[in-house]
Amino acid sequence: MSAMLELEDFRYSYGGVHAVKGISLQINEGEIVTLIGANGAGKSTTMRTICGLTEPQGVQGKIVYKGKEIQKLSGHKITAMGLSHVIEGRHIFSKLTVDENLEMGAYLRKDTKNIKADKEEMYRLFPRLLERKTSLGSNLSGGEQQMLAIARAMMNHPKMILLDEPSLGLAPIIVTEVFKAIKRLNEQEGITIFFVEQNSKIALNSAQRGYVMQTGEIVISGSCTDLSNNEAVRKAYLGE
Amino acid sequence: MLKFVTLFISATILGCTYGLISLSYSLIYKSSGMMAFVNPDLMTWGAFLGFTFYTLMGLPYPIAVLLTCVVMFCMGFAIQKGVVRNLIKRNVTPMYITLTMFAMGYILQNLSQLIFGSVPRKFDSIIPGLKIQLAGIQVQPEAIICVGVSLLIMALLQFFMNKTKLGTAMRAASMDPMAAESVGVDVSLISGLSWGLSTTVIAAAGILCGPIYSVSMVLGANLGAKAFAGAVLGGYGNMIGAIIGGLAMGFIETFVSGYISSDYKSLIAYIVLILFLFVKPTGIMNERAIQDV
Ligand SMILES: Nc1ncnc2c1ncn2[C@@H]1O[C@H](COP(=O)(O)OP(=O)(O)OP(=O)(O)O)[C@@H](O)[C@H]1O
Ligand SMILES: [Mg+2]
Repeated sequence: MSAMLELEDFRYSYGGVHAVKGISLQINEGEIVTLIGANGAGKSTTMRTICGLTEPQGVQGKIVYKGKEIQKLSGHKITAMGLSHVIEGRHIFSKLTVDENLEMGAYLRKDTKNIKADKEEMYRLFPRLLERKTSLGSNLSGGEQQMLAIARAMMNHPKMILLDEPSLGLAPIIVTEVFKAIKRLNEQEGITIFFVEQNSKIALNSAQRGYVMQTGEIVISGSCTDLSNNEAVRKAYLGE
Repeated sequence: MLKFVTLFISATILGCTYGLISLSYSLIYKSSGMMAFVNPDLMTWGAFLGFTFYTLMGLPYPIAVLLTCVVMFCMGFAIQKGVVRNLIKRNVTPMYITLTMFAMGYILQNLSQLIFGSVPRKFDSIIPGLKIQLAGIQVQPEAIICVGVSLLIMALLQFFMNKTKLGTAMRAASMDPMAAESVGVDVSLISGLSWGLSTTVIAAAGILCGPIYSVSMVLGANLGAKAFAGAVLGGYGNMIGAIIGGLAMGFIETFVSGYISSDYKSLIAYIVLILFLFVKPTGIMNERAIQDV
C-alpha cells in the first residue's frame, strides 16, 4: 500500500489563533478514512488547507500528496493534481443551473467530448439531479445540493476526494443515500476518500479507519472497529 | 416629427454610451462586488488614447480602437493586481475600497490634464466626406459606428459571459470564490481578467463617443454619474439591466432637453430614478443588488 496523502506535523493558525496544533496522518491509496471530532476541533481547517483553500501564510509542516509537497500550492493547482474537495456547507454556484454546476466541475478537463457522457453518468448516479437539471443551484433542497456538490467534485475525475460533513442538514434517509454513493465511488471507481463527519456512528460504519480530533490535535486513531469499541470514543462521540 | 427623429438619434448615441459605462460598472460588481467609480476616468483615458493613436499618430481607426482596447485591458488588469488585490489582502472595509476608486479616478483625471492639456481635443473625421441620410436627417458616420459597435460589444459580452467556459468561470468565481478555486478556477487570475474586460468595455465607450463629443479631461466624469444611475435603474450587477438602464437614462435626458429644457434634464432623470426605485427597488431586471454579493 502506498501513501496517497500524508500530513507531517501539520499546523495551521488564523492570525494568532492556533486552529491545528501539529498533526500527522497518512491515507493510503484506495482507502476510505474518516476524521471525527467536536465543533471547532480544526477538522474543516485541516481539510481546506490540504486543498489549498485557506491563506497559505497560516500553514506550517508538510502536506504530501502523491509524493509531492503541496502546502504552498493554490487550490486550483491541487485540484489539477486530481484531489477534489466537497466543501462544508455545499457551496453550490447559486445562480448557475445544476447542469452548469456540473460543467464547472469539469473546468480543468481537456477531453471535452467525454464531459457529456460523464454528466449522464452523474445523473444516473443521482436521479434527483436529473429532474432538477435546469434549476438554479439556489433553488435546490439541502440534500439535492449535497448530491450536486459530490457530483460536481466527481466531474474532475479525481484520484482522491475530501468531503467535509456530507451529512450536514440532511434527513436520515438521504444521509444513508449519500454515504451509499460515497462507498460506491470508493469501491467501484477506486477513489480514495477522506471525510469529516459529525455523525460519528455513520462515519465509523462507512470508513475503514478513523482519526479523532480534539482542539487541534489527533487524540485517538485506528481501525473503525477498534474505534467503535474504544471506551472514550463511545462516551464522547457515540453517546453511549 | 423631424425633431423627434433628431432627438431619437442623439438619445440612442448617448444611451449606448451610458449603456457601455453601466455595463462596465456591472461587470466589476458581478465579478468582485465592488463599485468601480474609477471607470469614468478610465473612459476618458480610452478616449485620449484613441485620439493619440488615431489623430496624432495617424493609425487607421479600427487599429486605433483595437490598440486602445489592448492597452486599457492591461491597465485594468494592473489596477486589480496592483491596487485592488492589495487592499483586499489587507482586509480593508469596502468603504476604503470605494474611496480608493474615487482617488484613482481623480489621479487619472489630473494625469490626463497634465498630458493632454485642458483644451478639449477633436478627433479627425473617421470617414471624411461620407454623408448619411436617415429619415430625412443628416447623421454623422461616427454616430452610426458608435451605436453599431456599442450594440455589437453588448451582444458579444452577453454571449461571452453566459455561453463560454471562461465567462461562466468569471460568474462562478464571483458567486463563490472558494468553490470556484476548488473546481480548478484560478480565481486570482480571473479577477484580473474581469477588471481588464471591464476597462476594455469602458475604453471602447471612450473611443467610440470621442469622435462625437470631443475629448476633454472631464468627458468620463460628466457621463459617469448618469451611467451609474443607469446601472442602478437596470438592477445593479445585471448586464442586460445595465444596457437597458443606460439607454433609458440617455432617452430621458435627451428628450427632456429637447421638449422641455436642458436645464431640467438631470433633475428629471434623477427624479425618475428615485421614483422608479420606490416602486421596484431591485431595478428593471430584478437584481437583488445588496444580498447578491
Ligand atoms: N477564518 C477563520 N478565522 C479565524 N478563526 C477561524 C477561522 N475559521 C476557523 N477558525 C477557528 O479555528 C478553529 C477550528 O475551526 P474549524 O472550522 O476547522 O473547526 P471544525 O472542526 O471544522 O468545526 P465544525 O465541526 O463546527 O465544522 C475554531 O476555533 C474556529 O473558531
Ligand atoms: Mg467544520
